[in-house]
Amino acid sequence: MVISLVYSATRYDPWGAILVETGRWILRMTTFLGGIGAFLYLLATFI
Amino acid sequence: MGMAMASGSQTVSLPHRPYSITAGFLSYLVPGLGQIYQGRKGKGILFLVCLLTMFLTGTAMGGWRNVYLPDPEAYPQTIVRLPFAGALELKGPVKALFMRVQYLGQFWIGVAAWPALWQYNELYVPSENANPFLHNLQRFPADENKLNQELTDSDKTPDVAWVLTVIAGVLNILVVYDAYAGPAFLLPIRTAGMALQKEAVA
Repeated sequence: MVISLVYSATRYDPWGAILVETGRWILRMTTFLGGIGAFLYLLATFI
Repeated sequence: MGMAMASGSQTVSLPHRPYSITAGFLSYLVPGLGQIYQGRKGKGILFLVCLLTMFLTGTAMGGWRNVYLPDPEAYPQTIVRLPFAGALELKGPVKALFMRVQYLGQFWIGVAAWPALWQYNELYVPSENANPFLHNLQRFPADENKLNQELTDSDKTPDVAWVLTVIAGVLNILVVYDAYAGPAFLLPIRTAGMALQKEAVA
């Protein structure tokens, strides 16, 4: 989250835009990691 | 500048912030200092707190032994084979960086990584008896093989530790550029009548 916040703060100046972009990055990372987790779970369960 | 009418108000594209080498350099020295110098105090404090905390946390997790520039003389002759350029023998600081690539990332955090350069150049440090912390701060380990064995035998904490320090340093490159040239994206602001909103000019 800290990395997302710092990165987003280098993209925008207004705080609203920074926080929105941070939220987007957290969502992307969560979705990506969740997808990997789900895939590994299915792999472990059925193979 | 772009202008568009929208129900009595206008959207105005902001002029680009002038480039500031001073602000960029200040942000290299201490993350966020350039932004504070420019009046963007909130962002400056955010960068200062987040990046320095990340770097110092990583250093502390690594037992204050994961930021250093090694002595190139401690390693055997190092030859790199380059395509189209033949063999190249590495010497001096280039060899030191080749043997400790992490420092290429850690360097960009600024003053916090300068003790490693101080130790590399064998400048004055207090004796180990007088002040063991400062004596050993970012010093090339006396026995790097022993340190490597400890890393191999430990859990993943030391690996996470040096990664944190490198991430902090690399993120500061973006912070330096933000101080030098402003944010990557300038959002247009909506004006009330013809008066510009103050907050848009940060």
